[in-house]
Amino acid sequence: MRHATSRRIEGLPAPIQGVAQTLVDWIPLGILVLLWELASGTVVAEAVLPPPTTVVGEIVELIVTGDVFSHLFISLFRIGVGLGLSILAGVLLGVGMARSDPVENFFDIFLSMTYPIPKTALVPLAILWLGVGTEAAILIVFLACLLPIVLNSYNAAVDVDQNLVWSAQMMGTSDREMLYKVIFPATVPEIMTGIRQAVPIAFIALVSAELIASNQGIGYLILTSGQIGNYPTMFANIVIISAVAFVAVRGFEETRDRVLVWT
Amino acid sequence: MDVTADAEGGFDLSRVIDIGKSIYSLVILLVLWEVVGQLGLIHYYFLPPLSAIIARFIELTLNGEMLYNAYLTLYRALVGLAIASVLGVIVGVLSARNDLVDWFFDPIIKIGYPIPIISLIPVFMLWFGIGDISKIIMVAVGTFWPVAINARDSTRQVQTNLIWSAQMMGTSDRRLLWRVVMPAALPGILTGFQIAMPLSLIITFVFEMVAGGGGLGALEIAGVRSFQSEQVYAAIIAIMFIGIGLDRLLRFTRSRLLHWT
Repeated sequence: MRHATSRRIEGLPAPIQGVAQTLVDWIPLGILVLLWELASGTVVAEAVLPPPTTVVGEIVELIVTGDVFSHLFISLFRIGVGLGLSILAGVLLGVGMARSDPVENFFDIFLSMTYPIPKTALVPLAILWLGVGTEAAILIVFLACLLPIVLNSYNAAVDVDQNLVWSAQMMGTSDREMLYKVIFPATVPEIMTGIRQAVPIAFIALVSAELIASNQGIGYLILTSGQIGNYPTMFANIVIISAVAFVAVRGFEETRDRVLVWT
Repeated sequence: MDVTADAEGGFDLSRVIDIGKSIYSLVILLVLWEVVGQLGLIHYYFLPPLSAIIARFIELTLNGEMLYNAYLTLYRALVGLAIASVLGVIVGVLSARNDLVDWFFDPIIKIGYPIPIISLIPVFMLWFGIGDISKIIMVAVGTFWPVAINARDSTRQVQTNLIWSAQMMGTSDRRLLWRVVMPAALPGILTGFQIAMPLSLIITFVFEMVAGGGGLGALEIAGVRSFQSEQVYAAIIAIMFIGIGLDRLLRFTRSRLLHWT
C-alpha cells in the first residue's frame, strides 16, 4: 500500500534521511495546524474555533485530572462487547450459511433485507427496546458490525479449497473436527478482513448511539460540552475519540499481521 | 415483498420451491410478529402488530408527511454526496497524477479518514447551525474521504503501459486524462461512490436525530419521544426502501457504465 511518489529525500545518511523524510511528509499537516492556530481569534472567534494549543491543553487536563477516563472506559466497553458479540455471531452465521443449505435458506433473506439499512437509523428502535444507555449502544455497535463479518466469513467458507476438505476426509476427519481444524483456520484471514472493516464502523455506530441515546461516554461528552458552550472540551474529546479509533485500527492491523504468519 | 409462491399452473415447480425455501423464514417471522402483537404477548409500545405499522405507514404516506420527510433526507444526503463526489474525484485523481498535490493531501487523508465523522456533528451545529446547509456540508465532508481515497488508489493503479502507449501515439495530456486514465480508473471511482452512499445516509439520519429540522431521522426520533412506536417502525420501513432503491440504482449505473469490463 505504501506509495513513494511523494517527494523523496536522498543523499543523506540513513538515520537522518528517515527523520527528514517523515518531517517532509508531515509538513502539510503542520501548515494546517499553524493556519488553525493563526485563524483562531482573528478570522474566526476563538470560542467557535479554539486554537490547537488550547485544545491540546484541554486534552492534557482531561487526562491528568482523569475526568475523561470514566467516559472513555464506558465507550470502550460498549465497543468491545458489541464488536465481540458481532464477531462471535457473525462468524457462526457466515460459516454456518456457507456449509449448510437450510441455515443459508433461513437467514439469507434477512441479511439481504437489512443490508441496505444504515444501522444507525435503528438507534431510535434501540431506545424503544432498551432505553437510553449502554445496552442500546451495544446493540447498535453489534448490528452495525455484524454484516461485514458475516459476509467475509461466508465468502471465505464458501471458497475453502475443496482439496483440503477432501484430504482431511480421506484421512478420516470427522465432520465436527473438519469444522474446527480445517474450515475455521482456512477462513481466519478473511474473518480478519471483516473485523478490519468493522472496527471503523463500530466507532461511527458508537458515537451515533452516544449522541442520541446515552448519558455517558465520549459521544455524550462531545454533545453536552457543545450544548453548554464548553467548546475546548468538545474539540478535545473529538480528538481523543479519533485518536482511539486510529490506534484501534492500526493496532488491529499490526496484531493481525503478526498472528497470520502463514498467509 | 410478499411474494406468495402459489404453484399456479405448476409449470415450474422447482423454481417455486426455491423461492419458497428462500422466503419461508421471512413469512414465518412476519406472521409471528402479527400474532404476537395481536395477542399482546409483547407490549404494544415495544412491538406493535405489523398491521398497525403498515396502516401507519400508509397513513403517513397518504398525508404526505412521509414523502416530505423522505424528500428532505434525500435532498440533504444526495446534494452533500454530489459535492463530495466532485471534490473527491478531483483531489483523488490529482493526487495520483501530481506529486505536489499528493504530498499535500496524503497526510491530511491519513489523519482525516479515521476520524469518526459523526463525532463532528456538534461542531457543525456550532459552525453552521442546524439547517439544511449545515447537514449538507457535514455529508460532503464525511463522504469526501472514501471517494477521494478510492479515486486516488484506482488512478494510481492504471497501468503505465496504457499511458505509455497512448503517449507514444501522441495523445495530449488532456486527452490522456479523459480518454485513458479516467475510464481505466472508473471502476475504483464507482466503488468509492458505493461506499460513500450509505455513509451519506448515516450522517443525514444521525444529524436529523440530534438536531431535528425534519427528515426521516427526525420523524423516527419524534416517534420515540411521543411514544408512537408505529411511527418509528414506519420510518424504518421507508429508510429500508430508500436504502434498497439507492443501492439498486448504483449497481445498475455501475453495470451500465462498466459494460465494457
